[in-house]
Amino acid sequence: MHKSMTYALAAGVLFGLIGVSSAQASDAEASMLANTCNGCHGPDGVSQGPAAPTIAGMNKQYLVESMKAYSEGTNRKSSIMQRIAKGYTEAEVEKIAGFFAGKKFERVAMQNTDSGAAGKGKAIAKDLCESCHEKEGFAAEDYPILAGQMMPYLKNNLMDFKSGSRSIDNNPNMSDKEKRKKKRALADLMEKHGDDGTNAVLNFYASRK
Amino acid sequence: MSKMNRRNFLKTTGGAAVAAGATLAAPTIANAAAGKVVVIGGGVAGATTARYLKLGNSALDVTLIEPKASYHTCFMSNEVLGGHRKMSQIEQTFDGLKSMGVKIVKDTAAGIDAGAKKVKTAGGSTFGYDACVVAPGIDFKLDGINGATESMFDKIPHAWKAGPQTALLRKQLEAMPDGGTFCIVAPPNPFRCPPGPYERASLVADYFQKHKKKSKVVIIDRKDKFSKMGLFTGAWKNLYGYETDNSLIEWRSAASTGGIESIDAGSMTVETLAGGKEKFDVINFIPAQTAGVVASIAGLTNAKGWCDVDKTTFESKVHKGIHVLGDASVATKMPKSGYSANSQGKVCAAAIINMMAGKPVGTPSYVNTCYSIAGDDYGFSVAAVYRYNKEKDIIAGVKGAGGLTPGDASAEMRRREVEFAYSWYNNICKDTWG
Ligand SMILES: Cc1cc2nc3c(=O)[nH]c(=O)nc-3n(C[C@H](O)[C@H](O)[C@H](O)COP(=O)(O)OP(=O)(O)OC[C@H]3O[C@@H](n4cnc5c(N)ncnc54)[C@H](O)[C@@H]3O)c2cc1C
Ligand code: HEC
Repeated sequence: MHKSMTYALAAGVLFGLIGVSSAQASDAEASMLANTCNGCHGPDGVSQGPAAPTIAGMNKQYLVESMKAYSEGTNRKSSIMQRIAKGYTEAEVEKIAGFFAGKKFERVAMQNTDSGAAGKGKAIAKDLCESCHEKEGFAAEDYPILAGQMMPYLKNNLMDFKSGSRSIDNNPNMSDKEKRKKKRALADLMEKHGDDGTNAVLNFYASRK
Repeated sequence: MSKMNRRNFLKTTGGAAVAAGATLAAPTIANAAAGKVVVIGGGVAGATTARYLKLGNSALDVTLIEPKASYHTCFMSNEVLGGHRKMSQIEQTFDGLKSMGVKIVKDTAAGIDAGAKKVKTAGGSTFGYDACVVAPGIDFKLDGINGATESMFDKIPHAWKAGPQTALLRKQLEAMPDGGTFCIVAPPNPFRCPPGPYERASLVADYFQKHKKKSKVVIIDRKDKFSKMGLFTGAWKNLYGYETDNSLIEWRSAASTGGIESIDAGSMTVETLAGGKEKFDVINFIPAQTAGVVASIAGLTNAKGWCDVDKTTFESKVHKGIHVLGDASVATKMPKSGYSANSQGKVCAAAIINMMAGKPVGTPSYVNTCYSIAGDDYGFSVAAVYRYNKEKDIIAGVKGAGGLTPGDASAEMRRREVEFAYSWYNNICKDTWG
């Protein structure tokens, strides 16, 4: 047991009330650390929209990798996560990621999606995205959940993949084969299907309930 | 939902199943032992604490005393002033807290007997507690400015507590003729929402630009610099012609005016040492601030009017068993903001739950972010992740983390920050009031 905890316990027995804290702060509980994210990501990581992503129910590895990429700031540019992610140690990120991975990805935000576009997007997604983002984007085992994710957030990411500000080539967590596959799928989406097709795929995933 | 299920369950099983009855009774036993918490104030800090107390231990008996039937958030109230949002879009109800079993009492806390552990209300009720949470936000300090009285706010609104004051100021801005001048008297430090007056100036300038092109915003400040100053002045240059002859915004530092002498609601004038009396069409006077008055009545305030607390539990340094948080507390270096109040509420709730169970309070973790919207698709933010630093007794920002949106952020990033500011609004409200 951590030294300050033992002290705190002893003091607790003696005085009932305690206010002991360690400067390193690595012994904060998972819920204490994770709850600091809720103001932006929603209670238990379930976003109320319109844009901030839901992080509940994502696989733990993806959450850890995202936090690492954000805090390094080179392969994944962000508006604010870079400034937030740097505030937590690796051990803390592990705890936080475990916490959110254990929550349910709920789809509560009222997203304005176009059913016509979603229908068109379904076919494109099946063709291009399904082999990784399985079960129409509901699968969370290997890749981030897309089904019911905030549409503006998904759109930002496609923009970032295209511009390279979210780098596929430099992503240390993907094999060369995965990288090639992903780049091909994205190129097909954007070039063959254009803005309309891209928009259709976004509507398809965002409309999944 | 769970209530219905339980009732149905009791109905179908009757009172007969003793075994089932025993499992159901377990929470009731815990209830008697779990303890009573009285929360004063249903704003961000009070509501978050109440909600997280219930989430952490549903058996706790939590009563929340709040005079308002519903709460209007100050955050995004500048969008109401700019005409970007309606009053109903900044209104939050207490229904979410009620549905979790928080007892909402519509009344004003009039005093606290820290010895007897009782809260008395203006309505004549008394509530006993094991732990009391005091989260009354701010009140105003009018001394030092001639002519300033509480009654003048009917004509010269502060709009620094959202609600009727926000609606009044918006109405005045709508009624103001084109070519008029709107004056914001910005407060001295420390005050609620350091970037708030400057966001307000920006969004009113946006309204003028779209609807009253010949009008102008003048900020008469009681400071020489302000929060996110570079980002705001940069935005004003990009959007509102700042520092040109046609600027929609003019900012005057305390040094340049020599300070404010008087404010007069009758003649609608603000008098400064350097400028003499100046007439404005609409005046927004944001006074100097202190902790909400109930905190001083309860003897919780220091000489400057704020409440000193243990920064890991938010327990008052004056009275044991009373926790003060949000704007009313001294939580150096967290700014007085909604995100801070929400973050502190969770730290405080966890501490109270652990203290009541005789456990160590645990290591706290805190965050603050303040988004500001300066115009269409033009947002920026300041953020910090904090830890408690015992040697200095401060809530210190983690080095290397946090900070401002870079001054050279791309237009796309500024656009995203507006989108994320709106998300922040929805998420923090859900996290606070349920
Ligand atoms: C224009 C403006 C813009 C802002 N924008 C942002 C922003 O973008 N981001 C951000 O993080 N923060 C923002 N803030 C700051 C934020 O609103 C406050 O910091 C936050 O509300 C503080 O929470 P609190 O619980 O301490 O006080 P409050 O939210 O004010 O709550 C206090 C509550 O206590 C009640 N009360 C008072 N006295 C009593 C009593 N005696 N008995 C019972 N109840 C009582 C009051 O009615 C009130 O409901 C803004 C503020 C302003 C003015
Ligand atoms: C101030 C608001 C804010 C806070 C606080 C915040 N986030 Fe974020 N988060 C965002 C935004 C906005 C994005 C989108 C990227 C960007 O532009 O920064 C994001 C993106 C993410 C993503 C990527 C999700 C995906 O599917 O790709 C993860 C993971 C994440 N945040 C985790 C966290 C964790 C964990 C915390 C708490 C330790 C946290 N965030 C705190 C605003 C916030």
